[in-house]
Amino acid sequence: MSGVYKSLSKSGSSKAQAPAKGVRKNKQRVLVLSSRGVTYRHRHLLNDLASMLPHGRKDAKFDSKSNLGQLNELAELYNCNNVMFFEARKGQDLYIWLSKVPNGPTVKMHCQNLHTMEELHFTGNCLKGSRPILSFDEAFEKDAHLRVIKELFLHVFGVPEGARKSKPFIDHEISFSVADGKIWVRNYQITEVEASKTKDRDASEPVKESKSGSGGKDTDISLVEIGPRFVLTPIIIQEGSFGGPIVYENRLFVSPNQVRAELRKTKASKHNARAEKQLELLAKKGDLGLRRQGGKELPRDELDTRELFA
Amino acid sequence: MTSAATMVNKGKLKMALAAEQGTSWKKITEKRRSKAARKDKDAKAPSARTPKRKADEGDDDNWEGVDSDEDDDEQNGAPLSGQSSDEEEIGGVDLDMINESDSDSEVEMEERIPKKARTSKPLAKPRKDAEPEEDEDEEDEEDILLSDLEDIPESDREDLIPHQRSTINNTSALISILNRIRMPTDDSVSFASHMTVVASKPTAAGIDDIHDDVKRELAFYSQAKTAAIEGRRRLRKEGATFTRPGDYFAEMVKDDGHMEKVKAKLVEEATNKKAAAEARKLRDLKKFGKQVQVAKLQERAKQKRETLDKIKTLKKKRSDTSGAGLGTNEADLFDVGVDTELSKSSASKKRGPPGGGRDGGNPHKRQKKNEKYGFGGKKRHSKSGDAKSSGDLSGFSVRKMKGMPSSGGGAKQRPGKARRKAMR
Repeated sequence: MSGVYKSLSKSGSSKAQAPAKGVRKNKQRVLVLSSRGVTYRHRHLLNDLASMLPHGRKDAKFDSKSNLGQLNELAELYNCNNVMFFEARKGQDLYIWLSKVPNGPTVKMHCQNLHTMEELHFTGNCLKGSRPILSFDEAFEKDAHLRVIKELFLHVFGVPEGARKSKPFIDHEISFSVADGKIWVRNYQITEVEASKTKDRDASEPVKESKSGSGGKDTDISLVEIGPRFVLTPIIIQEGSFGGPIVYENRLFVSPNQVRAELRKTKASKHNARAEKQLELLAKKGDLGLRRQGGKELPRDELDTRELFA
Repeated sequence: MTSAATMVNKGKLKMALAAEQGTSWKKITEKRRSKAARKDKDAKAPSARTPKRKADEGDDDNWEGVDSDEDDDEQNGAPLSGQSSDEEEIGGVDLDMINESDSDSEVEMEERIPKKARTSKPLAKPRKDAEPEEDEDEEDEEDILLSDLEDIPESDREDLIPHQRSTINNTSALISILNRIRMPTDDSVSFASHMTVVASKPTAAGIDDIHDDVKRELAFYSQAKTAAIEGRRRLRKEGATFTRPGDYFAEMVKDDGHMEKVKAKLVEEATNKKAAAEARKLRDLKKFGKQVQVAKLQERAKQKRETLDKIKTLKKKRSDTSGAGLGTNEADLFDVGVDTELSKSSASKKRGPPGGGRDGGNPHKRQKKNEKYGFGGKKRHSKSGDAKSSGDLSGFSVRKMKGMPSSGGGAKQRPGKARRKAMR
């Protein structure tokens, strides 16, 4: 009862507070965890992502696959308001769930083409816990479901300002692009040529910089990929957190099980076709009276041996 | 809707909360009731509904793609249409919040933003499909129904199975969700608070073939690069730090061991490349060398043939001239060398290389060697006697045989024992 009272009073007070305070502080915490049965690559990907999220809280593998609603309580336990959950199926398919915890939404995505940092051998590197620039494709502004997904990415991958373990410099960038109905995720290091010179200049005269509006055009920015790489296919969006009605479903998504089944079927159909052909051949021979037993008997003509020497 | 679950045990406080939010319970319950009624109707006559829904879906698909260009002029109509679902949203959300009331304040942010968005800026509505939203309202009712399918008991659901796997794209619900959780990223807040950059043109336009790795990655790269430049510009404008100073060291995402591995990999690749290039060069050289050798041999043969031809013609000329009787001394003057040369070369050709065998030059060498090391025949029993040697008595002398002094007894005899003793 007291909790209810608290929430009521809180909402009341916050209403009064909000305009006075002006800018709200962005507080995001992400619970990062996987289900049981992940492969080592899934695990490494999880570690890679977790190392980029200083506001993340990595937890032990989650036991249940059927009752994901328990994740809400778990997240609450760790004071997290986002969950990134890696669900592995059949020891090969990876589904990534992103959820805003108390009341949704939840996005379930299928993860393909994943390459971890370790196996990519990219030369890029960045500070652990530096805040990334998030680069979104223009397509994220068009469709409603992509806008929701973009917002979730922003909450999960964007390191909030002043997060506990974050660093004050920006040296990497996570880019999300939409192509072929999938979301492609890349992670780049931002390197600057003649960085020290411009740094000094900026520190000394930031005002002039802003006036001229030429944001350090003298230095060249180039990007070096860090990894990991992966591709996400959105499957569904649920309104609640790990529950609730489905508000979006991707019709174009074909589950990997189906793909595999199809492959098996085509393989099996080869044999079937061959067997069928064999049968057809036999039937044809039978029709021509070329089989010893079965099939049609040809009418004897006058020149048949049996007729001549009867 | 999530509120359906909580509706059962709504208490006094919830009512109070609802009153505070300004929503009327009556309205909501009424709506819900009408929905339930419609649902029942659906369950009764599913077959009748099927074709209609199919048609609707078709419509859905059409306006998904087509009408993104008519958005701007219809902007104002948009907020009206989303109204009903929004209101329902308010009820649902806040009731949920009561359930989660023990949770921490982190919830608040997302709770407050939508309200702000709703009141302060109506342009938070989607730029897209403002026009179709009007017919979407009818659509919405059905969509919600569709998503409510889960609430229908199994037995009733069986009839509805055919259109379970249809496209669900409840745009208005998605928008309301978005408004609920939205973090402000516009100009009202600092860039440093969100650090997102949205590209101005779709990346997919730059990719012709999704399987072309190089082009695809290039498109991603260019998107990221423009975003990085834009991000830096905006951060600098706000006076935030961007570049890491050279003397700032901290833990990196990839530790030293990892970077060492990367370096080793790079080195290995480079050496492999170098070795491959070297090998190719060598192979080419070998091929070329062979060609050179062949060319050289051909050249030599050609030269030889040419000289021989020349000699022949000269000789012919000489014989011709001598036959004409122009005087022998002229021939002597010019062609003596030629004649001798010719005879010599023909002779040597007949004999083959002098000296025989590979040794070439000196003919005595073989002979000497044969003498020294022996050549031909068997070497064993060479010292044993045979008929000839035993018949050979040239070395026999009777005198020696008889023990006589060979030459006149001049040799001194050895004295006797007593004498030898006496001599000492």
